[in-house]
Amino acid sequence: MTILYIDTTTNYLYSAISINNQITGEIKAKLDKDLSVFTLPKIKEMLEANQIAPKDVDKILVVNGPGSFTGVRIGVTIAKTYAWSLKKKISTVSSLKAMALSAKNKDAYKVPFIDARRGYGYAAIYDEENKAVLKEQYMSIEALKCALEHLPGSYTIVTNTPIEGLENNCEEYDPNFAKIVEYCKDSVELNPHAVNPNYLKLTEAEEKQKEELI
Amino acid sequence: MKDVYIFAIESSCDETSCSIVKNGKEEIATVVLSQIDIHKDFGGVVPEIASRHHVKNITMVIEECLTKANMTMEEMDAIAVTYGPGLIGSLLVGVEAAKTLAYLYQKPLIPVHHISGHIYANNLKEELQFPLIALVVSGGHTELVYMKDHYSFEKIGGTLDDAVGECYDKVARIIDVPYPGGPTIDKWAQLGEDTYPLPLPLNDNSYNFSFSGLKSAVINLVHNEKQRNHPIRKKDLATSFQNTVVNIISKKTMKALKEYQVKNLIIAGGVAANQGIRETLTSLCKEENIHCSVPDKQYCTDNAAMIAASGYYAYRLGRVGTLDLNPKSSIILK
Repeated sequence: MTILYIDTTTNYLYSAISINNQITGEIKAKLDKDLSVFTLPKIKEMLEANQIAPKDVDKILVVNGPGSFTGVRIGVTIAKTYAWSLKKKISTVSSLKAMALSAKNKDAYKVPFIDARRGYGYAAIYDEENKAVLKEQYMSIEALKCALEHLPGSYTIVTNTPIEGLENNCEEYDPNFAKIVEYCKDSVELNPHAVNPNYLKLTEAEEKQKEELI
Repeated sequence: MKDVYIFAIESSCDETSCSIVKNGKEEIATVVLSQIDIHKDFGGVVPEIASRHHVKNITMVIEECLTKANMTMEEMDAIAVTYGPGLIGSLLVGVEAAKTLAYLYQKPLIPVHHISGHIYANNLKEELQFPLIALVVSGGHTELVYMKDHYSFEKIGGTLDDAVGECYDKVARIIDVPYPGGPTIDKWAQLGEDTYPLPLPLNDNSYNFSFSGLKSAVINLVHNEKQRNHPIRKKDLATSFQNTVVNIISKKTMKALKEYQVKNLIIAGGVAANQGIRETLTSLCKEENIHCSVPDKQYCTDNAAMIAASGYYAYRLGRVGTLDLNPKSSIILK
């Protein structure tokens, strides 16, 4: 089973190839504004270095958010176009779940955090069994800090953007591809047409419209 | 010569579209998924909402196009895609999908300029004859382009502020016509009388346009009439406004045709569907013995058939892109 993993939900491209549960190729590249430029060429390069033709991939595992709206769309568009074109299996995984699974510290609670600017971010809190005790959501950093204060055990924040005042609790996100792929081995297979970003947030225009209705 | 099939994707604004065109002129199949009903509620296109719908729909539109044509991606000679100008988030979805297809099927990737697509929409009706002047009028563009040959674009003038379609939509909003109001203004203009005095915008020797002054004049006029408790005769205002726009556009277009000694005019873009512009220029051209071509209505608004038509000539000229193609919100036509 050859699995192609794609994550473009932040300003990094994280991608990997897993062949029969072995990671044979991986990319961890900070691409920032060039995410849309280099994501596909880099994936192509990785596949070629492993002598894998596009048709040799059996399944795509794509991270469908939350995160940067534009970033999420890059990975999801490539993944669903790939899976639809070559009739490959496709599953999605949450960016926050992938981050929690990759935590190195052994604290009781894993707190993945993606900065969304202006004092807000995407976060969740998972316990040792990977169960969400705070489900993934768009929230203020203040609210997250408050939730963390009330946790009954120690925690580690997995992030690329350490939270001010909590730097000592933060661990840099370094995806553990083997663990993520293993965790998702029984994930639901989707129709590629139905693969969509999970933004966790309405657009500003929709939010404004909703407020006006209330 | 072997037939060339181009598969094209267009997603620069609020339409997700795919098309297959044979030899740059024969449309095999086109699918256009418009989001207009969604954006109506917001009084205009909301870029983030447009991007979200593109990513949701892209593979379905690709599939429907191939099904309609009863063809496979393997049969295509190249994948063309609009890479700008347009809404960056919207463009991105089409570009990523096109790049993926080009990679998976090992096909040449052809980046196409959106405006060149509007011009080449005419090729789906009759082959372009050179040299020509193209008047591109849409919600985002107002340009005069001189072409000596295929893919030789010389922009001789353009709008300095609002695009003509944008001005139509804004005027429509001022007199409470729901978005998109342009077509309604055009319809009303046929029914009213030209009774409101409006200034002729940027009436100089250049080929540039400026519509923001005209827009302000309409705003002031409506405001003053309201203060005096005079009801607005909307149909008359539509006629006065349209006449002013058509007047300046046709004046500059005819001047360009004369100065460049060109016998072919192409009207392109969403506003090419406007009856006032269409009829006036067609009849002026007839008087001057100039051949005037306007694409069929379905090819005036954004669609991928025009991108495939333009992409065919780009492909023939070897204008092939690479997988690091990046969409751009504004690019020069060349």
